[in-house]
Amino acid sequence: MDLRFTEEQEILRQTARGFLAAECPKTLVRELEQSEKGYSPELWKKMAELGWMGLIIPEEYGGIGYTFQDLTVLLEEIGRNILPGPFVATTTSTFPILEAGTEEQKKGLLPEIAQGDLILTTALLESDGVFDASGIAIKAAPKGDAFIIDGTKLFVDMAHVAGHIICVTRTKEGTAPEKGITLFIVDSATAGISCQVMPTTSQDKLCEVRFENVNVPKKNVLGTIDEGWAIVEMMLRKGAIARCAESIGAIQTCVEMTVAYAKERVQYERPVGAFQALQHIMADMWTAMETSRYLVYEAAWMESNGLPCTKEASMAKAYVNEVYRNVSKWAVRLHGAIATSNDHDIPLYYRRSKAADTAFGSTDFHREIVARQIGLV
Amino acid sequence: MDFSLTDEQKSRSREFYDTCKDLSKKRPPSLVGFEAIYELDECWEYNMYCAKEFAKKGWLALGWPSEYGGSGDMMNRVLFAEARGYYGTPGVDIFGVQMLAPTLLQAASEEIKREFLPPIARGEVMWCELWSEPNAGSDLAALAATAVRKGDEYVINGQKTWNTGAHRAHWGFGVFKTDPAARKHHNMTFLLLDMKTPGITIRPIPYLDGSAPYCEVYFDDVRVPAKNIVGQEHEGWAVVNLLAGFERSGINEIMSMMRGLEQLVAFCNETKRHGQPLAKDPLVRNRLAQLACELAAARALAYRVADLQNRNEMSLMDASAGKIFFSELGERFAFMAGDILGPYGQVRTSRWAPLNGIWEKMFHEHFITTISMGTNEIQRNIIAWYGLGLPRMR
Ligand SMILES: Cc1cc2nc3c(=O)[nH]c(=O)nc-3n(C[C@H](O)[C@H](O)[C@H](O)COP(=O)(O)OP(=O)(O)OC[C@H]3O[C@@H](n4cnc5c(N)ncnc54)[C@H](O)[C@@H]3O)c2cc1C
Repeated sequence: MDLRFTEEQEILRQTARGFLAAECPKTLVRELEQSEKGYSPELWKKMAELGWMGLIIPEEYGGIGYTFQDLTVLLEEIGRNILPGPFVATTTSTFPILEAGTEEQKKGLLPEIAQGDLILTTALLESDGVFDASGIAIKAAPKGDAFIIDGTKLFVDMAHVAGHIICVTRTKEGTAPEKGITLFIVDSATAGISCQVMPTTSQDKLCEVRFENVNVPKKNVLGTIDEGWAIVEMMLRKGAIARCAESIGAIQTCVEMTVAYAKERVQYERPVGAFQALQHIMADMWTAMETSRYLVYEAAWMESNGLPCTKEASMAKAYVNEVYRNVSKWAVRLHGAIATSNDHDIPLYYRRSKAADTAFGSTDFHREIVARQIGLV
Repeated sequence: MDFSLTDEQKSRSREFYDTCKDLSKKRPPSLVGFEAIYELDECWEYNMYCAKEFAKKGWLALGWPSEYGGSGDMMNRVLFAEARGYYGTPGVDIFGVQMLAPTLLQAASEEIKREFLPPIARGEVMWCELWSEPNAGSDLAALAATAVRKGDEYVINGQKTWNTGAHRAHWGFGVFKTDPAARKHHNMTFLLLDMKTPGITIRPIPYLDGSAPYCEVYFDDVRVPAKNIVGQEHEGWAVVNLLAGFERSGINEIMSMMRGLEQLVAFCNETKRHGQPLAKDPLVRNRLAQLACELAAARALAYRVADLQNRNEMSLMDASAGKIFFSELGERFAFMAGDILGPYGQVRTSRWAPLNGIWEKMFHEHFITTISMGTNEIQRNIIAWYGLGLPRMR
């Protein structure tokens, strides 16, 4: 046991911290929230030059072949600073290609992703808004050498700028909802696809994507026909841990900013941080952060080493969802009115706790997985 | 980052688990919760029996230097604590083995080490902690009991209170005021004393569940050899702080909760309400799952603390955070389990009590960890003042 980061990871962390502080100030974050694209192509290019999009891609496909845990180190920094854009969408959508893609699909897509030339996302949720297979109704019907996808996806992260969309469809009605799910890699320029950005709490560009009789060649099936749900589960698991890592960084910023402000804001002739009522809340915020941190690190370590960690990933997600929301809420309250202003940085974090909470499975969704994993019938 | 155990550690851990499992075959059914060992004769005997068994294997001296009969390292101690926590096996004296021994190793004279460490390692001598007084709780330095030097003895007068198992203990360690003229924190001495010394009167305190594992201890001209000192005369405060740092990491309690959760899950699977297993109730599922998440978080943080300790680094903040978290998790768990058991949650150990009444016991015992070892409010002060650097109120 050695719970320290490796030297390589420390370097990655330091580089990321310096880069984001310089290249992604909060003025840019606010600008991007208001912008139509929601990300900065210039910044995206620079991130690609640093190797970030290729971090988890093996060298043979143009990446740098780091581990999943390395990725979470980077994500923690991204969450710490806030980096709007399609980084999480792209990396989490890369995993299905890495794990289930054909050689042709890998050769065709991975080098482009690594170079920052291809933004990727996954279209999972539909009108039910649930993360289990019962929510997948959108049909893909075989027609000659292709499938026709018809229906609407919702909450698709950055779909409006994605070059390809991994679309989770139903290809067979069966007894169990998990059976009959098929994934397709869809070029978003295909005729019949339209996209609209939904207004959300974090202004993070979740989209409604309509597929109207969209023709997708059979060779774009990702994985095995009707057997796609296992890939979705893998992606939800990795995505959950990834979002947790991002949240840990955000939680840390909330704690640091709150402690700093409490030392500086004077009321009743003393810094408000001298009031024990506030000190104990800050101690609790710090405690919540530390408990989350090692829970997430452990899940990331397991995932990174190929150990089964369905339970651990869901535990982390269910737990961190609540911690992020609570800590960022307390961050607002301990700042007082000033942090209810949209000009303040804390609300950027508070609002993102909502997005972090729903992405890759809500608290109750993951708790139900945990309930099964601990052996409840 | 690496959470894994080495093969050697894994096999050591298996050995700890197997031994504790074996010992649990002799466990008296009346041993429910953490404190019954001090309460009932058969439980105290079982405690002593387990201690002797552990001593035979050298496990009461894990992490000690070999010159004092020690073997293994800190990580072994953590793995051992896990196994004992899981099976609720007593036998490792919190006061002697867990707190006093490492303190002596760091702060005591060679003579004291040679005299007091071997009986601890042999599982023969059990200790109690004589610190708190009626008017010195969190503010321990406000203590009033005195030890006056007379020749080669100290003569002790005064009262201590809340001393766990003082009526069972063979020896006690305490702090007493030795220099009334000196300023706070430099006026007390850390002494070791035989609980059979004339002049000591021990009275049980009725605990809120009707048991009496804690005591008041009165000192009336109690004579203690002056050589029984740890650290410097009048500088006992430094020893107190050192010892407080060796208090429980929480691993033991966390593993005990893990076992509790497993048993509760099994209970919910087997028990029918409204014609179906309790486990099918979405509310029960959600609450148990939430608890499992928190328990995993507590354990991960306890590993973090252990990992630091293994490298002789210590984060005061992490240790305090871990203590706050696992103890308050204990409260939540006790209340939640009580809710799930419904009216049975109030039944004390008896034929009506599910799970041998453990959750009724926990309704009372969770206070052990939130109040003792420095209250959780004091832990929050530590994080705020020493960790976050917030201004300390005067
Ligand atoms: C089960 C149990 C076992 C124990 N075993 C032992 C033992 O073996 N040996 C021994 O010597 N003692 C023992 N104790 C005593 C224990 O150490 C004290 O109870 C503890 O230090 C708190 O002191 P107190 O109870 O006098 O509370 P007080 O110090 O009077 O505190 C009362 C309340 O005020 C709060 N408070 C106090 N100071 C502050 C502050 N600065 N900031 C914020 N809040 C504050 C406390 O958190 C608490 O909520 C035990 C106690 C319990 C409950």
